[in-house]
Amino acid sequence: MESLILQHLLNWLVLGSIYALVALGFSLLFGLLNVIHFSHGDVSMIAPFVALGSLQAVFGITGGSMGILPILTVLAIAILVTGLIGIGADKLVISRFRRSPAMMALVATVALGTVIRELIRGFYPQGSNPKAFPAIAQGFLELGPLRLPAQPVLIVGTTALVVALMYGLMQKTPIGTRIRAVAEDAATARLMGITPSRIFAFTFFLASAAGALGALFFASHAGVVRFDFGVQLGLIGFSAAVIGGLGSMTGAILGALAIAGIESIVQANIADGASYRLVFAFLLVILMLCLRPSGLLGKPVFEKV
Amino acid sequence: MSTTLTNIQSRAALPASLIVAATEIGGAILLGAFLLAESTPLVVALLAVMGALFAALQLRPQIEEVIVAAFHDARGLATVLAVAIVLIYPFFLGGNTYALHLLIVSLLYSVLALALNFQLGSANIPNFATGATYGIGAYTSALLAIHFGWTFWATLPAAAIVATVFGFLLGIPSMRTRDSYLALVTIAFGIVIHQMLNNLSWTGGPNGLVGIPAPSLLGHSFMRPIELFGFRLPSQANFYYLSAALLGLAILSAKRLHESRVGLAWNAIRADELAAKCQGINVVWYKILAFGVDAFLAAFAGTIYAFYISYISPDNFTFLVSVTIMTMVIVGGMDNTLGVILGAFLLTMLPEKLRVFSDYRLLFVSVVVILFLILRPKGLFPQRQRHYGGH
Repeated sequence: MESLILQHLLNWLVLGSIYALVALGFSLLFGLLNVIHFSHGDVSMIAPFVALGSLQAVFGITGGSMGILPILTVLAIAILVTGLIGIGADKLVISRFRRSPAMMALVATVALGTVIRELIRGFYPQGSNPKAFPAIAQGFLELGPLRLPAQPVLIVGTTALVVALMYGLMQKTPIGTRIRAVAEDAATARLMGITPSRIFAFTFFLASAAGALGALFFASHAGVVRFDFGVQLGLIGFSAAVIGGLGSMTGAILGALAIAGIESIVQANIADGASYRLVFAFLLVILMLCLRPSGLLGKPVFEKV
Repeated sequence: MSTTLTNIQSRAALPASLIVAATEIGGAILLGAFLLAESTPLVVALLAVMGALFAALQLRPQIEEVIVAAFHDARGLATVLAVAIVLIYPFFLGGNTYALHLLIVSLLYSVLALALNFQLGSANIPNFATGATYGIGAYTSALLAIHFGWTFWATLPAAAIVATVFGFLLGIPSMRTRDSYLALVTIAFGIVIHQMLNNLSWTGGPNGLVGIPAPSLLGHSFMRPIELFGFRLPSQANFYYLSAALLGLAILSAKRLHESRVGLAWNAIRADELAAKCQGINVVWYKILAFGVDAFLAAFAGTIYAFYISYISPDNFTFLVSVTIMTMVIVGGMDNTLGVILGAFLLTMLPEKLRVFSDYRLLFVSVVVILFLILRPKGLFPQRQRHYGGH
């Protein structure tokens, strides 16, 4: 009984971590640009494919050994490449809609998401098939009386570390201060000698890299990855960011934990719950927005005349 | 405004009726050629012609003004001619059932796009659930027909009522949420509906519903070909006329609503919600009404689709379907009926006609959409200025 509860708890935290990493990207970008980057899930999902591709290359060099270093290298390459693709997506497409109505940018990024998915499907070797994705960590950790599976602990721990680093970056470093300044008022930030375009590029890199980590964990947790997994991951990440309050990092994490929580509860307690988990997750989203229209921690919008 | 209009008219050397006839017949011929084009070079050439036409419009906006003015002057002729073209069109397709099928799907998507246009175009309310209300309409009518033996004509209003109730329900959160938050509510609604259809046993689960009986009218089954004056039209022609009639209804309601207080209220909300509220417009009611109208029309389209294909599954009504409908509205031109219909036709037919690209069709279409949004951000035919008062 105890181990079952522990298992559900871990499952909740793992899902919550994955969603939080994706939701953070949505929140960061919305806070900065007021734009919903709907292809964020698809951009993030590029990472597992890059990882699978570079895995072969790294294995070729190390002769097939599964040490810590090769795995870290593969993950780093995947995250870096995905971050750069995030910048590319902004430069090529999203930046052209800075002054357009929100709906235009939204539709453009949805189309961009399709482009990314179709590129993977069409040009990645056997891209339309699901691909097995290896676990990042195997085995168990012995913590006193507790015996915990290593991968979930690694996922939750890494996420906590990344989130802490991102908080530190946003609050304590010069670049974080600049990001917050541009988010507050881009025109005034420019007068203070900040180049908004560089800030945008950096934020897109940061958001996409965080999403990439989330997608890598997702693929590793599920053991499989397919070109269209990004749609659902993106939708859930977006929902988490919105119910938490767009633009708030803490909100995004709370939202992710809430959605992961309802999914875990439904899965554990309702017969046939696995197929209904999305129904309940999105009903929660609707309910939450009816009760708190600006999300949990979002600033209420005051209209000025 | 009036001086510029007369100015343009005096410059137009051709009489209005001629311009109207040339535009409509030319458009019909271009569409027909595109529908019947089999070879890749021809499809590409026709696309190039269309591209050139739009480039001309982009460079010389006066052309559009002249055509619009001509249609305004010769309204009667334009309507009669358009109806005549729609009626005789299947005869020119020469029994090409694939072309007819494409036309039917395009017509149904035009209705859906017009339905969404009431919200997105007129009132600037984001709605990602048109696919869901379309699905509710299709499933309601299919279930009534399969399990209770209702006829097509009886299910049509029933499906519309059920979908409208759902539309109003969906509209309720719009009282409190706005913009991105409202967009998420509609996305969530769409996903909930899709997942329910996919999981409930009485909707057939992922396998959907099969064996929806064909409708019949005055003893003529829609499964049978139409035989008229020695001509023989394939059975699809039945559904073509039905969908065309529905689109006609949608256009008429769009026009009437646009000219009514309701349309004016929607436009006021789009321009400035707070100002509209201060003018005494019941913003909440008009927003919810927009959701209801959208669901009502979408359910009609869903019913026809269900009875036409006679098989529906949840995959026909996903989030991506809603996004496609939204893309049609934005690419075509928000709040411009003709633009929206053109957007629906183009985005339905383009992937089908680009068989050459086979696996890369979706990629190509998405790239075109992005380029289009960058190059012509206001859509094929941009929103037009409202005419107030007398004409």
